[in-house]
Amino acid sequence: MHVPGWHKATAEWQKQGKLQMLGIIQEQHPNRCRLFMQWKKMNWPIMVDSLDLLEVSVVPITLAIDEHGIIRHRLRRPNVKWLEENFLSKTYEGPPIAAESRAAPPVMDTLRQQAQRKNTPEAWRKYADALATWAPAKQLDEAIKSYDRALSRVPNDGWTHFRLAVAYRKRFDSPYRKTDDFQKAVDQWAKALDIDPNNYIWRRRIQQYGPRLTKPYPFYDWVPQARKEVRARGEVPVKLAVEPGGAEFARPQRHFQTTGAEQKEPDPKARIIRDKTLIQTEVTVVPPVIEPGRTARVHVVFRPNTQKKAHWNNESGRSVLWINPPAGWKVDDRLQTLPNAPNAPKAVSRETRTAEFEVKAPDSAEAGTIELPAYALYYVCEDAGGKCLYRRQDVSIKLRVGD
Amino acid sequence: MKPHVFISFTSLAMSVATGTAFAAPPDLSVGNPFPDLVLPSLDGGRAMSIADFRGKKVILHVFASW
Repeated sequence: MHVPGWHKATAEWQKQGKLQMLGIIQEQHPNRCRLFMQWKKMNWPIMVDSLDLLEVSVVPITLAIDEHGIIRHRLRRPNVKWLEENFLSKTYEGPPIAAESRAAPPVMDTLRQQAQRKNTPEAWRKYADALATWAPAKQLDEAIKSYDRALSRVPNDGWTHFRLAVAYRKRFDSPYRKTDDFQKAVDQWAKALDIDPNNYIWRRRIQQYGPRLTKPYPFYDWVPQARKEVRARGEVPVKLAVEPGGAEFARPQRHFQTTGAEQKEPDPKARIIRDKTLIQTEVTVVPPVIEPGRTARVHVVFRPNTQKKAHWNNESGRSVLWINPPAGWKVDDRLQTLPNAPNAPKAVSRETRTAEFEVKAPDSAEAGTIELPAYALYYVCEDAGGKCLYRRQDVSIKLRVGD
Repeated sequence: MKPHVFISFTSLAMSVATGTAFAAPPDLSVGNPFPDLVLPSLDGGRAMSIADFRGKKVILHVFASW
C-alpha cells in the first residue's frame, strides 16, 4: 500500500491505542511475507490463508472494521484525513463486546468424525481444509484424499480444486513429496481457473510459475533487494523455507525470444553412459496444456538419490540440460545450466537443482501429447568421498497440446 | 405443483454439479460482520481470529507480498 503518510499515521494511531492493523496473506509460501514485513518494517499481526478460506478472488483488499467486528468501509485508496474523520473518530453501535476470547485451532478428530458421519462434500472439505492449514506435512496425504472425496461428489467446485492444488504444492515442498506433486498442483489450479477464469488469485498462481508471455509482473524480484537492505541495517533477513525459483523472478515478455541457436549440442552421438539411479528427475509444465501458438514454462527438478547417497560433484564442471525441440517447436534456450544452490558446499553437495525453460508450440500443433526430447549431463558421486562419474540422463518431457 | 417439483429437482442437481453443495462464501460487504475465521499467525502459527481484536477498530489488509 503505497500511500504517502499512511504508514506513519497508522503506526501513530496504533501507539495511541486507536487502531489495530492486521493482515491476511493469500500466498503459497507464507514466510516470504515475513521477509517482506521485515524489509518494510511492518510489525503488525498477520494471519496466513494459503487456502483462501476467505474465498476472495482478488487482492489487495483493505477493510475498516469497527470494534464490534462489523465491516464499515472498503478502502480503495486509503486516505489518512478521511479515515480519521469517517472511521476513527466515530463510535459505532453494536452488540455488547464479549470478554477477550482466544481463537483455537480446529479439533481434527471431531472434523474427521463429522466427515465420516455426514459424508458430504462440505464436511470432507472442511476436514481437508483443517488438515492442510494446521496439521504437520505428513498429514497432507489425508488432506489430499479428503479433497478428492469432496470432488468425487462435486467435481466442478473451483475452490476445492484450488485448495487441493495448494495441498499438492505444500507436499511437493515437504519431505513427504510424491512423484508429480507439483504437476498435480498445476493441473488443479488450471482446473479451478477453467471453472472460473475471473478469479485473480487462481490466475496469479498459474502465472507465478508460468511463461513470461503470460506474466503481469515478476512475482518475487523484490527478495534480493529486501535481503540487501535488511543486511545493510545490521539485521539477519528472515530465512525462506522455499527459495523462489526462476519463474518467480522472471520478467514479463511481450514476444517469445530464443537464444543459444548457435550453441553446440554437448552429446550429439549419445555416447555418455546413462545414469538411471543416482539423480532423480521430475518435470512440471505450466500451464499443463499448451494451445497452438502459445507458450509454456517447463520446470525440471534434479534430486540426488538419498538412498544411494548420491552427491553432485562441484569440482569437475557444470551440469547442463540440453533440449532438442521437434520441428516447428521453439525453445528459449536449448542449453540450460543447472545452478548450484546458493549455499552449497564447494566440493560435493546434495541440494535439489532446477532447470527452467520456455517452449512455444507451432500454430499448426495438433491436439494430443508430444514428447520434447532432452537430456542432462552432470558430474555425480556415488557417495561423499566415493567414486565420481560423468553421466547422462535422458529426460522425458511430455507436452499436452490443446485444441 | 408438478412444474415446481421439476424445477426444484433440476435446481438441486445443478447446484450440486456447480459446487453450491458448499456453504456460501463470506460476504465482505460493508455492514456485514467480518467472519470469525481462525487462521494460523505468520509468526509461529498460533491460532488467530479477527474476534481476538473485539473492542478495537481494525484496518485489515488482505494481500500477497508478490
